[in-house]
Amino acid sequence: MEALDFQTSLIKGFTAFETMLNGQKVPPIHDIRRQAMTRFAELGFPTVRHEEWKYTSLVAAIKHDYKLPSQAASTLTAAEIAPFLIPELDAQTLVFVNGVFAPELSMIHIQKGVTVRSLAEAFHDKHPLVEKHFAKVASFEKDALVALNTAYALNGVFIELERGVVAERPFHLVFVNDTRMSSVFTPVRNLFVLGENAEATVLDNSHTLTASKNDQPHYGFTSSVTEIVLGENAHLHHYKLQNDVEASYYVGATSVHQESTSVYNSVVITLSGGIVRNNLSSVLAGKAADAHYYGLYCVNGKTLVDNHTLVDHAVAHCTSNELYKGIMDDRSTGVFNGKIMVREDAQKTLAYQSNRNILLSNNATINTKPQLEIFADDVKCSHGCTTGQLDEESLFYLRARGLDKEQARALLLTAFAGEILEKISLEPLRDRLEAIIAERLHQELA
Amino acid sequence: MLTITNLQASVEGKEILKGINLTVNKGEIHAIMGPNGSGKSTLASILAGREDYEITGGEVSFNGGDLLEMAPEERAREGVFLAFQYPVEIPGVSNTNFLKAAVNETRKHRGLEPMEPKAFLKMMREKMALVEMEQAMVSRSVNEGFSGGEKKRNEIFQMAMLEPSLAILDETDSGLDIDALKIVANGVNKLRSKDNAVVLITHYQRLLDYIVPDYVHVLYKGRIVKSGGKELALELEAKGYDWIKEGAAEEVAA
Repeated sequence: MEALDFQTSLIKGFTAFETMLNGQKVPPIHDIRRQAMTRFAELGFPTVRHEEWKYTSLVAAIKHDYKLPSQAASTLTAAEIAPFLIPELDAQTLVFVNGVFAPELSMIHIQKGVTVRSLAEAFHDKHPLVEKHFAKVASFEKDALVALNTAYALNGVFIELERGVVAERPFHLVFVNDTRMSSVFTPVRNLFVLGENAEATVLDNSHTLTASKNDQPHYGFTSSVTEIVLGENAHLHHYKLQNDVEASYYVGATSVHQESTSVYNSVVITLSGGIVRNNLSSVLAGKAADAHYYGLYCVNGKTLVDNHTLVDHAVAHCTSNELYKGIMDDRSTGVFNGKIMVREDAQKTLAYQSNRNILLSNNATINTKPQLEIFADDVKCSHGCTTGQLDEESLFYLRARGLDKEQARALLLTAFAGEILEKISLEPLRDRLEAIIAERLHQELA
Repeated sequence: MLTITNLQASVEGKEILKGINLTVNKGEIHAIMGPNGSGKSTLASILAGREDYEITGGEVSFNGGDLLEMAPEERAREGVFLAFQYPVEIPGVSNTNFLKAAVNETRKHRGLEPMEPKAFLKMMREKMALVEMEQAMVSRSVNEGFSGGEKKRNEIFQMAMLEPSLAILDETDSGLDIDALKIVANGVNKLRSKDNAVVLITHYQRLLDYIVPDYVHVLYKGRIVKSGGKELALELEAKGYDWIKEGAAEEVAA
C-alpha cells in the first residue's frame, strides 16, 4: 500500500509544485505539465505486468517516503561535490543539487553561438526553442515516467548550439541528490538543440550523497528526461556515467530527433546503483542520419540495470549501430531490450544490433530481447546476443604463454569492456573509467 | 629434457593415447607424423596442459619435474611452448601488452626483473625481423583479423620472444603456402640451439625439407608404431601412411 502512497503524494504534491511555480504557470509549457500530470494519474507507476517493465520492478523504489522537489532544498560545498567531477576535464560544468541549479558550484564559459543555462531560466524567459520542442521529442502518452517527469519539469539543462557552431568545451552535467536529511525524489529535465552542422559533447552523471552508515537509510530517486534535437549534419557525442550508491534509483529517458546526415553517438556506462533504467531512442527523421548506441554495464551486488533502446528508421539511407556489453557479478540483474523499427519508406537502411554478456556468478541474471520490426524490403539488418562465461580457449591460450588464471581473466574482461570504452573520445573520462573498471575487476577476481 | 613414459589419455571415455614413449634431449629436433586422428594434437595439447583430457596412465617428466602436475602457466614459465594448431583471436588484447606480460611472467619465474620498456621494444624488433612480421601486425589485437599464415607466423614470433627450452609445433605448417612455410621454418632454424629442443607435429613431409629433424616418429592409433631418422619421413612421403596402417594391423593380429 505504501507504493500507492508515493504515487498519490506525487499527484497531490503537484498542487504545491504549481504554487511554487507561481508566476511561471503560463501556457504553453504549463498546459503541457497539467496534461502530463493527468496522464501520469491515469497510467500510474508501471508494474512487471507491463511488457516494457517485465524484468524491472519499481516496487522497492517507490515504497520510500520521498521529499518532493519543492521540499528538499540543500546546499553543498565544492568539497562535497569534488568526487563527482573530473579535474582533468576542461568543461562547461553545470551542477544541480536536488534538482536545483547551483551556479556557485558550476563553471560556465561564454562562447559565441552557444547557449547553456538552466532550463528553469529558459522557461522563465519563454525561450522560443524551448516552447517549440518541449515534450515534443519525448512523448508522455504511453510512458508514465515521462509523464511524471514532464508534469514536474522545471530544472535541468538547456543547451543550444547555433548553426555551424562547434562547442569548444564539452558540457559536463552533474546531478547530485543529497539524501542525508531525507529521501529525495528529483526530476531532471534537459533539452539540447543543435543547429545545422553544429557539434557538441555532453557528459552527464547523477550521484547520491548518503548519510553515514549509522543513520536511518535514505534513498534517492531520479527521474530524468533528456530531449535532443539534431539539425541537419549536427553531431552530438553523448556520454552517460552511472556509478551511484546502492540506495539510489534512476529512471531516465533520452529521446533524440535526428535530421538528415546528423550523427548521434551515445555511450552509456553503468557501474553501480540500486535500480538503473535507461530508455534511449532515436527517430531517424532525415535521410542518411546515423545513430550509434554503445553501452557497458559492469555491475555487482544487487544492482539491476535495464537498457531499453529504440531506433526508429523513418526514412531511407539511415544507419544505426548498437553494441551493448555486460559483465555481471554477484546477484546483479541485467536487462537489454533493443528495438529496431524500419518503416516502409526506410529503404537502404543499415541496422545492426548486438548484446553480449559475461556472467561471473551463477546468481547473476541477464534478460535480453531483440525486437526487429521491418516494413521495408531493401534493408540490411542484423542482431545477435550472446551470454556466457569467458572463452575457455582464450583463457588457455593466455595461460599457455605464462599468464596465471586471474591475470588471463582480468586481461580478457578488460578487453571485453575496452571495446566500449574506446568509443569514448574524452580522454580524461576514458582514463577514469579504465581505472575504475581495472580496480573493480582486480577486486572481483582476487 | 622430456621423457614421456607409457602415456595414456582419453576424452569422454574414448581412449586416444594408448601408451606413448618418447625421450627428447637438448639440441634435438623430433618430428611426429601420422594420419589424421592418430592422436598427434592430443599429445601436444596434453603436454601444454589443456584440461579437456583425462590422463589414465603413464608419466611425463620435464627437466626432472612432473610436467602433468603443473598448471599450463607453470609449464610455460618452465620453458614449454606450444605453437597452436588453431591460434585464437583475442579482440581487445594487444599483441604487445600480452607479450610483455608473458615475457615478464617467465622472467619473474626465473628470478629476473621485468624488462625495461626500451629493451623489450628492441627485442620485439629483432624477433619481428626473424619471422618477417610487420609493426602493424604486432600493434593489433592478438591474432584478430590475421590470415591463417599470419597467425602461424605470430606463433613463431611469440616463441622467439619467450625463448622456450622445448617448443612443440602443432601442425604449424598446415595451411601455409610455400613462402610462409619458408619464413616459419627459417624462424625455427634460427632459434635452434644446443640447449633447446623442438617437437614438430605434422601431417606432411614438406616442412621437414626446411627443418631437418634428428628423429621421425610415426603415431598411429595412439601409439608410436615406428621411429627412425629423417629418411623415414621421405619413405612416408613416397608410400603414404597405408603401409604403416597395414603393418600396425599385422602387429595387432600377430
